[in-house]
Amino acid sequence: MKTRNIVVALALPFAVASAFAQDSNAVRISGFGTGALTFSDTDKAEFARSNQSSGVKKDPRTGVDSNLGLQADYTVNSWLSVTGQGLVRKDGEDSFGAELSWAFVKAKLSDNLSVRVGRMAMPAFMISEYRNVGYANTFLRPPQELYSQMPINNIDGADVTWQQQYGDTTVTALAAYGRSDFKTAGGPTAESRDQYALNLTAEHGPFIVRVGRSGTKLSSESAQLDAAVITFNNTAAAFNVPQVADMGVLLNTKDRKYTFTSAGLSMDWNNIVVLTEYAKRKMPDSFLGSSKSWYVMGGYRFGKFLPYYTRAKIISKGVTNTIPANCPAGASFACAPTLAALSGLMNTLTTAIDGTSQTTDSIGVRWDFTTSAALKVQVDRIKPQTNGQFINVQPGFKGPVTVGAVALDFVF
Amino acid sequence: MNQLFKASAILSVLLLALPAAAEVVVVVNAKAAESSLTKDQVSQFFLGKSTAMTPVDQAENAPARAEFYKKVTDKDPSQIKALWSKLVFTGKATMPKEVGDNAGVKKAVAADPKAIGYIDKSAVDASVKVVYSGS
Repeated sequence: MKTRNIVVALALPFAVASAFAQDSNAVRISGFGTGALTFSDTDKAEFARSNQSSGVKKDPRTGVDSNLGLQADYTVNSWLSVTGQGLVRKDGEDSFGAELSWAFVKAKLSDNLSVRVGRMAMPAFMISEYRNVGYANTFLRPPQELYSQMPINNIDGADVTWQQQYGDTTVTALAAYGRSDFKTAGGPTAESRDQYALNLTAEHGPFIVRVGRSGTKLSSESAQLDAAVITFNNTAAAFNVPQVADMGVLLNTKDRKYTFTSAGLSMDWNNIVVLTEYAKRKMPDSFLGSSKSWYVMGGYRFGKFLPYYTRAKIISKGVTNTIPANCPAGASFACAPTLAALSGLMNTLTTAIDGTSQTTDSIGVRWDFTTSAALKVQVDRIKPQTNGQFINVQPGFKGPVTVGAVALDFVF
Repeated sequence: MNQLFKASAILSVLLLALPAAAEVVVVVNAKAAESSLTKDQVSQFFLGKSTAMTPVDQAENAPARAEFYKKVTDKDPSQIKALWSKLVFTGKATMPKEVGDNAGVKKAVAADPKAIGYIDKSAVDASVKVVYSGS
């Protein structure tokens, strides 16, 4: 079943290509991929990319950083084109799975304006659209501190891009609207509705500056949390403590507002390579709280070698528990222990969210040993607050953790 | 005398063995409106930043290709490839078409009034127009 999905997804660009191939020159097939081995120095937690349900421990594994993508571009005429992209990687589930990452029709309405309809990349980051293309990036993987904070990869809908030249500066504005369903790591499918993204980018020679704002309403199924919401509401009513109902609202998993605001800068000037982003994630009506994250990568190109250093940090913040310690005068004697139990649950959640904070220092080198492939080696030193961004954490886990990876990136 | 002749023969063989630093020029269709382009304008087309003209490349191992990119964009072939892979895999652009050697470029440029390519200066003829020859 799995294998068949993978074959179908990879064959799709070819199917699109041959379906349209009256003019073979108009169809371009291209592909990218990364073969990587990743390992860490702990067996008490797994290091994974965001939204992977399993990662690596001491035994080197290929799953975290390997992928393969194929893309077909069909140019219908001077203003209309069709693009399809299939991607195989580990995301959401425990094995390699295939996804149709993009399938869109693009219409160039004028030299300044174009419209796309279909499935596109969710443009929340500086490198949203090529973050899975190792060859197009300096680092081995996008810093998880920031790139984990917008879990939605795609947008099914439409976008409008406007581009204008001001002297030597190119300004691009993008607005996208749509929806998306996606599989969460080891969990249920999440629904994203009223999903939007706004981007403003200015490019001047070797410098690119970007600001973006994206958001959505997220819903997922959780029988446990649904039951908890009922308990909180009943408790609030029974003992007349409205703060408990306020906390219950935060445990609701339906139509939760999600916003992601970010700014970034990239530079490739005189062999100096810099990429940096800062982002704020907010879920004002969910126990998942908010986060601030950033990273700075700097490198210097010595011919075919590009050594680099990255520092990335995320500060996660759970919600403030407002359940009072004392019951209203005259409340039944069951009130105090119930409040204490629910308050304890909220504190546990908040502590867990706070504990996903972490800092990573990475050093690596990219070696362009030939024109269509690059070899990368990267070592990360990760300092999690408690669990950090690690998954399947076992008792006794303690940072810092060292993660190493070797990757071969290629395009064709 | 004989010795001298031999030495100069060896010397010229050595000189021939050095990479020929043939000058690369940028050409467009003979009927194109452009009469000259700046280095920045040329690099915009070949780095996918402008689609007003359609760039055509020589084959990946053609010596003119590496020399052209070094001269116009100051980047080496792998930097160019990484840059294009960003554009290609965002669906923003497709790689310039590869048309082989000088003759292939001349043919492609002569056939398309919007095409732009690069060839050895020695290969220039009436089918194309030189718009940039560098300094």
